[in-house]
Amino acid sequence: MKVLRNRLSSALLVLFGASLITFTLARIIPSDPSLAYIGPKATAADAAKLRITLGLDQPIPGQYFKYLLQTFKGDWGYSLSTKQPILQEIRDRLPATLELIFFAITFALIFGIALGVYAAKYRGKFQDAVIRVLAIAGVSMPAFWFGLLLQMLFAGRLSWFPATGQFDIELKYDHPITRITGFPLFDSIITGNYHATFNGLHHMILPAITLSAYSFGLLSRMARANLLEIMSQDYVKVARAYGLSERLIFFKLALRNALPPIVTVTGLSAAYLITGTFFVEQVYNWPGIGSFAVNSLLSIDYPAIMGITLVAAIGYLVTNFIVDLIQSKIDPRVWMK
Amino acid sequence: MSLKSRFSSPRIRFIAIATSSLLAIASFAVPNAAQAASVFKVATSAAVTTWDPIQSFSTEAFYMTNIYEPLLWKNPDGVSPEYSPALATSWSASKDGKTWTFKLRAGATFHDGSPVNSAAVKASLESSKKVGGAGFIWDALKTVDTPSDDTVVINLSYAAPMDLIASSTYGAYIVNPKALDAVAKDAKYYESGKDGGSGPYTISSYKAGSSVVLTAYAKHWAATKPAYSTIDISIVSDGITAQQMMTSGQVDWATNIPLTSMTSLKRNNKYSVIKYKSPFNYVGYFNTLRAPLNNPKVRQALSMALNYREITAVGGQGYATQARGPVPAGIYPYDPNTPQYKMARAKAKSLLASAGVKDLTIKITYASENSAEARFVPLIKDAFEAIGVKAEVQGILFNQQWAAAKKDPANAQDLFIVKYWPTYSDAGVDNLWSLFHSSAKPFFNLSYWKNAAYDKLIDQATELSGSDKDAAQKLYSQAMVILYNEAPGLYLYDEAQVSVVPKKFSIPKYNINYPFSAFFAGVKLS
Repeated sequence: MKVLRNRLSSALLVLFGASLITFTLARIIPSDPSLAYIGPKATAADAAKLRITLGLDQPIPGQYFKYLLQTFKGDWGYSLSTKQPILQEIRDRLPATLELIFFAITFALIFGIALGVYAAKYRGKFQDAVIRVLAIAGVSMPAFWFGLLLQMLFAGRLSWFPATGQFDIELKYDHPITRITGFPLFDSIITGNYHATFNGLHHMILPAITLSAYSFGLLSRMARANLLEIMSQDYVKVARAYGLSERLIFFKLALRNALPPIVTVTGLSAAYLITGTFFVEQVYNWPGIGSFAVNSLLSIDYPAIMGITLVAAIGYLVTNFIVDLIQSKIDPRVWMK
Repeated sequence: MSLKSRFSSPRIRFIAIATSSLLAIASFAVPNAAQAASVFKVATSAAVTTWDPIQSFSTEAFYMTNIYEPLLWKNPDGVSPEYSPALATSWSASKDGKTWTFKLRAGATFHDGSPVNSAAVKASLESSKKVGGAGFIWDALKTVDTPSDDTVVINLSYAAPMDLIASSTYGAYIVNPKALDAVAKDAKYYESGKDGGSGPYTISSYKAGSSVVLTAYAKHWAATKPAYSTIDISIVSDGITAQQMMTSGQVDWATNIPLTSMTSLKRNNKYSVIKYKSPFNYVGYFNTLRAPLNNPKVRQALSMALNYREITAVGGQGYATQARGPVPAGIYPYDPNTPQYKMARAKAKSLLASAGVKDLTIKITYASENSAEARFVPLIKDAFEAIGVKAEVQGILFNQQWAAAKKDPANAQDLFIVKYWPTYSDAGVDNLWSLFHSSAKPFFNLSYWKNAAYDKLIDQATELSGSDKDAAQKLYSQAMVILYNEAPGLYLYDEAQVSVVPKKFSIPKYNINYPFSAFFAGVKLS
């Protein structure tokens, strides 16, 4: 209980810090929010009137405390560019982003760990070299560039996958998805709309691969390095001396002990993916909070930027908490620490 | 070696697994769903700042011209007649140009079925003047009389070209009075995508920042019904993404393809790349409040430093022509005889020397989200450096550029690069007035330049343009010569509008008078 209480209070402190920094930065950069609100040709009188309406004529500390109070009450304000409530914008877009992150992290985990293990098993061989190249490419290639490459090759040239979007545009006319949870792909499954499910999966592959590239590279290198380190430990030598099979040693002893750092990296990667979606969603025109974030940044839509920052910060905190929970399952000493 | 032993080799197994994975991915690919016959799919960057037709003053014009109608539509330059009837079928002006009578179309209705009548026109025009985003276009409007349901008489305080104003892309839509009442009670009335128009399409769904779906209005007055009953528009801010959507068949048409892609698209026999004149014009404002830029000789020297051919080629990618002042070609009161600066760096250096300028550093700001500016601004820097003037370039978001220029003009940038276009097709009352006419507090005059002779000419021309367009043109031309001599700005280039049209479709030609708009009612299969 005490640990939970401490976790919660530090989380609140982090959220407060994040909101304060973002709010201050949004206010001190020279910009005119009225431009985003009423367009670049708005008259000076209209802009002045709007600044009063938005409370921008008030002192900054007063604006911040008003913002905090409203945020706690569930009023996150209105987006300057879309004019919709921020909370509603986030609620509408977050499921698409979470589905993308889920598939990206699943790709990264499955292929990252599997290929890391494979590379460790064939250390110094051809397979190891190929996997190393893939991992380094995944870590070092900027997501927007990698995304464009995949798009040009697999959508433009080969026509294997759609270039953009979460579903085909026709789907909303031919096989509309009934909204149950707000997660479109999940809703299509539970309502038995499998045409939409397959269409959604088809659209998911390229963005998910793009988003997973960094985590895949990191996980495969991490899995390989950890396994190789553990395989050289004394207890593994003892196990070998006792005549245990290589398969048993590799998968039962070594892999289990290599897991804790991999879980930590997976957690960090998942948190990284929240901001990683900014570029990927932009390239694939994915209707999530990443593309909303980019558009908000470009129009200096500061209420939206504040809302997205809060969501990203909450995402980081929740992911870290889940990582700690999993770690404690694998190694109970972690929680105590 | 047996087949079995071949596959037991780890390397071969690895290659086999990798190959079959790729094949599995490929087999997962399924063809795109068959296109619903009556849906026309579009990708555009046009964001919606507001759905309020009275407040509208930005890129939502792309949708508005399909949902709302003005009294008249202005035809592209060179097309006769100059105007096409929209909600008014005939119109006339008194001799002094101060009274305009419009006869309304019989049978025109708003999307809720209520009639478009003179009361609706009166309410719309008065509302536009009072609270409209482009309300200033109705400056001359004194009163609106409604002698009958189908007749509107507009009385002006001074002669103004009411046919031109009534066909404006902003502030001239006729709106359902019920919607005007609703928005007066609730300022957010329109924001979920409601409309009060009478146009060929109505909004059937709107996802902010993501998509707009328009549905044909069955009771629209036009004899020819739209070929596509549904227009499904994806809002895609990135041009390359929009291009990918069109070339991969996800959408039928993309309107925001980058100029840098035109060469490759020209080679693709599925598309026609068509160039039109546009109202977009690139200008640079010199900060005339600061020495030595308060000296016209220095501004002339800097104007002569530029290699206009290079700037036009790089910025406009072959789809631009050097500007003759701030009025774009194809828009009144453009004058082909207005002088242009040409690169003359030796003369520029001697002008700087005669002005006693040494060690000058110029701070240039441009809108970083504008890719054309990002391409050509470095050329301006190089040109200045070629005549011994250092330049610091700052690419910032337009919002920030704009705010910094207005905060403290005396200490703001030295050169502000901007892309400008007139509110309606009169660059005299807009570009020439807005960009360079003096004002107590700068709004769009960000060179902070004041010239009494120029102001007088523009004021006279503005008042004359309603009754004697040719006389007004002469005054505007004189004013443009002053702009050339005094050089408060750099007059860079007129940008062309380049449309990439899939040959499969027939899409109405671009109309310079509605630069952000597409008219979907005229779209059909070729």
